[in-house]
Amino acid sequence: MLQYILRRLLIMIPTLVVISMLVFTIIKLPPGDYLDSYIAELQSQGETVDPKKIEFMRQQYGLDQPAWQQYFTWASGMLQGDFGYSFEYDLPVTEVMGDRVTLTIMVSLFTVIFTWLLAFPIALYSATHQYSWGDYGLTFVGFIGLATPNFLLALVMLYMANVHFGTSIGGLMDPRYLDQPWNWDKFVSVLEHLWIPVVVIGTSGTAGMIRRLRANLLDELHKPYVVTAQAKGVPPLKRLLKYPLRVALNFFIADIGSLLPSLISGAEIVAVVLSLPTTGPILISALQSQDMYLAGSFLMFLAMLTIVGVLISDLLLAWLDPRIRLTGGAQK
Amino acid sequence: MNHSPFTRISLTMSALPSAGRHRLLCADRLVRLRRLLSAVFAVLVTTLLMLSAQTSLAATGDFQETPSLQEAVSKGELPPVAQRLPDQPLVVATEGTPGGRLTTLMAKAKDTRIMTVFGYARLVGYNKDLELVPDILQKVDVEEGRIFTLHMRPGMRWSDGEPFTTEDFRFWWEDVANNQDLSPFGLPSVLLVKGKGPQFEVLNQYTVRYSWDEPNPDFLPALAAPSPTYIYLPFHYLKKFHPRYLSAEKMEALIKKKKKRNWMGVFLKYGHPYKQDNPDLPSLQPWVLRTEAPAERFLFVRNPYYHRVDSQGHQLPYIDEVMLDLASSSLIPAKTGAGESDLQARYLQMDNYTFLKEAEHRNNNRVLLWHSGTGSQVTLYPNMNCQDEEWRKLLQNRDFRRALSLGVNRHEINQAIYFGLGIEGGDSLLPDSPLYRARYRNAWAEYDPAQANRLLDGLGLTHRDSRNLRLLPDGRPMELIVHTTGEFTEETDVLALIKDTWQQLGILIHARPSEREVFRNRVFSGEACMSVFTGLPNALAHADMSPAQFAPTAQDQLQWPNWGKYYETSGGGEPPRLASAQQLLDLFRQWRHTDDASEQMQIWQEMQQIYSNEVFSIGTVAGILQPVVVNRHLHNVPEHGYFNWDPQAFFGVYRMDQFWLDPDTPAVVPASTDQNSSADNSDSKAGKPASSEGEP
Repeated sequence: MLQYILRRLLIMIPTLVVISMLVFTIIKLPPGDYLDSYIAELQSQGETVDPKKIEFMRQQYGLDQPAWQQYFTWASGMLQGDFGYSFEYDLPVTEVMGDRVTLTIMVSLFTVIFTWLLAFPIALYSATHQYSWGDYGLTFVGFIGLATPNFLLALVMLYMANVHFGTSIGGLMDPRYLDQPWNWDKFVSVLEHLWIPVVVIGTSGTAGMIRRLRANLLDELHKPYVVTAQAKGVPPLKRLLKYPLRVALNFFIADIGSLLPSLISGAEIVAVVLSLPTTGPILISALQSQDMYLAGSFLMFLAMLTIVGVLISDLLLAWLDPRIRLTGGAQK
Repeated sequence: MNHSPFTRISLTMSALPSAGRHRLLCADRLVRLRRLLSAVFAVLVTTLLMLSAQTSLAATGDFQETPSLQEAVSKGELPPVAQRLPDQPLVVATEGTPGGRLTTLMAKAKDTRIMTVFGYARLVGYNKDLELVPDILQKVDVEEGRIFTLHMRPGMRWSDGEPFTTEDFRFWWEDVANNQDLSPFGLPSVLLVKGKGPQFEVLNQYTVRYSWDEPNPDFLPALAAPSPTYIYLPFHYLKKFHPRYLSAEKMEALIKKKKKRNWMGVFLKYGHPYKQDNPDLPSLQPWVLRTEAPAERFLFVRNPYYHRVDSQGHQLPYIDEVMLDLASSSLIPAKTGAGESDLQARYLQMDNYTFLKEAEHRNNNRVLLWHSGTGSQVTLYPNMNCQDEEWRKLLQNRDFRRALSLGVNRHEINQAIYFGLGIEGGDSLLPDSPLYRARYRNAWAEYDPAQANRLLDGLGLTHRDSRNLRLLPDGRPMELIVHTTGEFTEETDVLALIKDTWQQLGILIHARPSEREVFRNRVFSGEACMSVFTGLPNALAHADMSPAQFAPTAQDQLQWPNWGKYYETSGGGEPPRLASAQQLLDLFRQWRHTDDASEQMQIWQEMQQIYSNEVFSIGTVAGILQPVVVNRHLHNVPEHGYFNWDPQAFFGVYRMDQFWLDPDTPAVVPASTDQNSSADNSDSKAGKPASSEGEP
């Protein structure tokens, strides 16, 4: 087992190197560089810049160097824990991300909990009452949640919350708390704003989770051991939760791999629409403005979390389900 | 009328640039005589005004302490107002109550620079009537349009209380502009006349002089621009980041600490006054930044050393704090409608109007309608540098461009998309500009498909295919891709209407949206033969403003990127291949080398004549309305104005430092109009001699 973990950890190194190359190439793929998009943005507001100044900035940012040299500067910096410099914010990348990571984790955690709380009971009900009115009804609602574009739902809810409850539009707290230290009122204000993104991001996830859990459970419910349990007189709820549900949870553990990066990145588009102070909008705007070190380092960070997440979920799966064995790799 | 004696003095001085030491050397005696007379006149007027200034200063003599600063003053943390102001502050004819906080919404942290634009404290700046008047400077003497003597306000201070002197000008000139590392590409273009920079002299602690060999009419407008050319920087603060004033090892440590490539990176990070991103950088603007980035809201607080006072002796700005809240740009209209902004125009569009108006009664807002100041909202640019040879030949042909323009039904566009509220016509100046002539706007701008077809037939484009499209000489059907940035739905709507009417000419267009950078690069490379963007950036120009927008002078002019690049980079790109474009460029060069107002005026007229006659860009509808949402309690915001970048600087020339909040009484509409119009009148009265006598 130890050897397995070690092997997995070693494989991560070439994986990350390849990912970093891919990330860098893809970010560099669109024509132009950060300064081109910077000029374009200024121009759209009517501003102009002296071309001499742009040339000077290009030198300052090192954008006049060949691409491979830029890559090595960035990659070797990351090895030393320096994630590079954001052109857009004129700050080191770590400082740009700093605060936002906390809030992102908070939004994502609440969303995950919301999704679970909603999805599990519904899926259990749907599976045990297959093809009943309740099953169809809940499935219908779930599909609506999945089919409605998130951003549309977000805008409608924002408007309603503003008109009926007087919640300020967008953001994670009332603007007046933005520059204040944390206190009870601020916390309440955050909760007032938090439910919209949580519900919006949660609805689509919920539907997907309901369907998968329902399908997995249905596979299990007709297996002989369930019938045996029933024959032995195990109470229905215990019978459901103790065996079939545990077996049906494999997909759920496998999901943890993707959960880790999504905790940090959040739902980007919804975050942009709701103007949440999370990392999603930063990533999107960095990609748009070709703020390459910011975007690149952030994507690298996500890639790292994904790899670690997958490893963790693999290990968890092996621990949870005795049927899963490391046969393939261990025999080599 | 005891207001603004200083303004008037300064106005007169700048109005008579030819005053001062004229030697009788040049040949033209008449001009000399006129200048001599005006010089004598100027001295007389100045003396008189000086006297009246003295008396009115005595009358309004004592300044009133700003309530929000009272505590700091009584504790001794801040000197009293009389000591904070320069010896002769700029007195503004307005009244109001100081205090309060104003919130406005912006989309990005980089938007903090908008406070330099809104604040609009400039060495010289435009007033509402777009005349150049001294602002931070007490006066400017201009001789022969080439020797500029800048007189600062003695006793003026930076926002941190340090004196603002000629040392700050010297620092910029010696250690920034002429520093090989910081400015490897030399002086800013506006400081170069035929490639040569000015001679810089410090005359005394409060006077500097820039002299060129030939007139430089771009100099003062560049200082007044929304994004001004800074010719001064706070020496006492920035010397901490400059190797000339810092030992090598300290500099080394600093670079390392700030994680920059070299010392220039450090210097530019901390010494960029336009960006307003460094809370420690001393400023001369009405409000200075308090918040360190990154943040979701940026607080700007009043500059206690600001150089303007109102007629009651209150130091400006009236508003204590300005708050910039960040929100994604698509949410800004919704947030504004929810009453979360006290003053908002940026990121609002005409199609938000109904929603904002509906929200007006729910919140404490009112929605004003200003105008955009561009020559035409949606404008088609035929690219003279198009790669496709057949198309390039046609697009460079005047008759072809005229036919295209005649084939646009501007009335229909105006009615269908702009509620009939716009001004129809070609891409030209607006009626509010003194240079406006109806004939330029109407040139080739009436909808006349019959004549357009005749013109096209005359070009030999008579063959048609089965779809009734005309054929190019090489046999391809005339299908044209029109590139757009795809950011404004209105562009697509207008294009749909144009597509219908051009089809009657036998030309089919397809709109193709692309990302802004890609869009620009396609136009620059000539891959895009036609593009859509907004029209002339400054359609409210005066003769003393640069007519660069009418001539191929910059690469980002979408009708001739390569010809523009030729001028901009002195030799890149290619020289204009059309006689008319070359003529425009020659006229522009001529404008740059004259200081004579009537000649400037004549050049402007000639350039407009050529430009509109040649139809270098195809305008549709101008004077589009811009919603401006204003808190009901915010006074002094004009009912009508132009929300435009250059030269208005958005709220800049309307002087945001004079806006004030009264929590008790809402700004009653007629009253504030009166106030503004009276201020307008006094300004223009004071300014009249300027326009009649000619500007530097």
